[in-house]
Amino acid sequence: MNCPMIQSKSNTAKKLIDIAIKEVKEDERKKINLIWLEATGCAGNIISLLNAERPDVTYLLKEMVSLKYDNSIMVLEGQAAFQQFIDTLETEYILVVEGAVSIKDNGKYSVIAYYNGKPVTAMEAVRMAGEKAKYVIAVGTCASFGGISSAYPNPSQSISVVDFLNREVIRVPGCPGHPDWVIGTIAHLLAFGKPVLDEKNRPVMFYGITVHDRCTRRSYFDQGIFANKLGDPQCMFLLGCDGPVTKADCPVRQWNGYVNWPIEDNTPCIGCAQENFPDGMEPFVKY
Amino acid sequence: MGNKIIMNPVTRISGFLEIQVEVEENKIIDAKCGGMLFRGFEKMLKGRPPLDAVYFTQRICGICSTAHSIGSTSALEDVLDIIPNDNDKMIRDFIHGCEIIQNHLRHYYQYSLPDYVKGVELQLTQIEMHNDYRLPENLNKELANHYLDSFRYGRLAHEMLTVLGGKAPHNHGVFVGGVTVNLDASKWIKVKSTLAEIKDFVENVMIPDVYVISEYYSDYFENGVGYRNLMTYGLFDNYKEKQLFFVEPQVFIDGEVYVLDSDKITENIQKAWFEANQIVQKPTELTVEENANKEGAYSWIKAPRYDGYVMEVGPLARMILSGNYKRGISTMDRLIARVLETKKIIEIMEQFLERMKFEPANQRIYEFPYSVKGKGLADTSRGALGHWIYVQDQEIYNYEIITPSAWNLSPEDSKGLKGAAEKALIGTTIKDMAYPVEIGRIIRSFDPCISCATHVESDRFAPMDIRIV
Repeated sequence: MNCPMIQSKSNTAKKLIDIAIKEVKEDERKKINLIWLEATGCAGNIISLLNAERPDVTYLLKEMVSLKYDNSIMVLEGQAAFQQFIDTLETEYILVVEGAVSIKDNGKYSVIAYYNGKPVTAMEAVRMAGEKAKYVIAVGTCASFGGISSAYPNPSQSISVVDFLNREVIRVPGCPGHPDWVIGTIAHLLAFGKPVLDEKNRPVMFYGITVHDRCTRRSYFDQGIFANKLGDPQCMFLLGCDGPVTKADCPVRQWNGYVNWPIEDNTPCIGCAQENFPDGMEPFVKY
Repeated sequence: MGNKIIMNPVTRISGFLEIQVEVEENKIIDAKCGGMLFRGFEKMLKGRPPLDAVYFTQRICGICSTAHSIGSTSALEDVLDIIPNDNDKMIRDFIHGCEIIQNHLRHYYQYSLPDYVKGVELQLTQIEMHNDYRLPENLNKELANHYLDSFRYGRLAHEMLTVLGGKAPHNHGVFVGGVTVNLDASKWIKVKSTLAEIKDFVENVMIPDVYVISEYYSDYFENGVGYRNLMTYGLFDNYKEKQLFFVEPQVFIDGEVYVLDSDKITENIQKAWFEANQIVQKPTELTVEENANKEGAYSWIKAPRYDGYVMEVGPLARMILSGNYKRGISTMDRLIARVLETKKIIEIMEQFLERMKFEPANQRIYEFPYSVKGKGLADTSRGALGHWIYVQDQEIYNYEIITPSAWNLSPEDSKGLKGAAEKALIGTTIKDMAYPVEIGRIIRSFDPCISCATHVESDRFAPMDIRIV
């Protein structure tokens, strides 16, 4: 015969553990979920994100967000991976999209999963996740403005996430997006809500100035001293530099451990963070 | 009764890949690799300024953009009849080496290791995918920690690339004529010290780690073999000095080594979503149109062939053909060769550093002949990359690219020959049909880059008199 008292006692420890696990899980739940969706692009923005430091990607994923889906680094594969995408749609989450949205033939030019017997296009996935997300961030120039994926004659009929979704989308352009721009935007969303955005929905803290405004070669421009060819140390305006029209803080932030940036490498800014990149920014190098 | 398995997404690769296999009595009897992304870069390139190809084609790929800067720059130098001086060549090859190190680190730790090591600490990757994790707990924990440590070294490899190339991904410093950086002692010592730090990790952590994996998963020396045909376009092969040399262009077919003849390269669109007058075409004569509804097709990747043969390209091919690796060809050999190659590349980069001079970049103003064709063939992280360009009246008239992952992940051709990775899958025994973990392990050993493999679409190539340089 079972004594209910003994049974209850032997279950006490288990109950406490269950409560503790639940609390840990709830604590875990306080971190907002993140879906990083690679659409029609080169997957260069996730690669750029992995170059982040202080905070690095480990800090981002341990302390800031709970990454539920990303094609490049998630462990799960196949339907189990995409199931995680589907399950996350029922939670509160931030959606990051990198890559444009190819709408040709109803999205057939970018198929990202095979789920319950059917192919899922990137276009469908952006719509599914975009409708329910707390925030949507378009990372990189393809997601933000169409970018190189939509370059003339736009064979995949790619459009920006902003044009595709009928809702507010924060743009973090750049080819690729600087990891600081991405993590900084997420940090602002977590700590203070939406950052101050400019007329094109870019966070002003990163896109408030043009490359030309703070260019290390600005004094050459002001004095009319220009480079003749790449490799020269002077202003590259006459070689096709797009710094005067490109909004991004590259000159003061710099890239990859803050060690360099294109102009310091004696090459012009090619306007990769700008709306009409690449078609409106060419020739990249003008001789 | 046969079983069909469809795996999509194949995660931990670059781009979108679908694998379909048919299994009978736990053995894979047929396999299809489908590249699922199309952007049409070659169509976009038509009409653009030729020099812009260097920055434009890098955007094909977020993980191996430097490879495309090397391919496009080499093609343009062929067109312009330019040979960079040895100093610029060494700096450029050093930049390329940074990308190879970064790619190999990322592939081995972030993409491959989770197939063999359980529960790395990142929240996303805690999940157990299958029941075939074999490392003892202490070793598993050690390697899971190395997964986290490795982020730093991949990042440092990109930092070196940026010191010399301006930024990464999508560098600016690799350019026609050589490079744009004016090397000085400050930059030189920065990359030299960083390289030493990375080398320490590769020698003392990465290499031992791959031998741990190979010990506990030794059955992976028996699967994923493929055709045993190997090819390289050559890497670090333009120097007189032996210490700077890695591997020269060559092919290995049915046990024999031959000198590479790039005229034997063709592309076959039988099972790719393209239409054309001819199923088999040369990269210089390609005329195709995309058709997502083509009957019987299953991939955006065309099938490149060498003299009709399917070739495997990549680190294992380079290491075998250069005499640096002898054990064999299999899933595990690919992983080991990639890791060992990382050390080999670093050693050659150290030799470059010893010889680099602090000279200004050798840049000049370029003018293009009226009508001219060129090609740039180079081995890159994932293997043989070819860029073919045709410049007319100061514009790109036609551009064609065959990427390493197109060689490895190609679909079946019109002779019924399966692609290299497809062939490597066929014959594999799947231990547990509920967790067909073998498929992902074999496919990832090729380090697929689908963004690259499916970049393309060419336009009509009108017949005319052409000067070939």
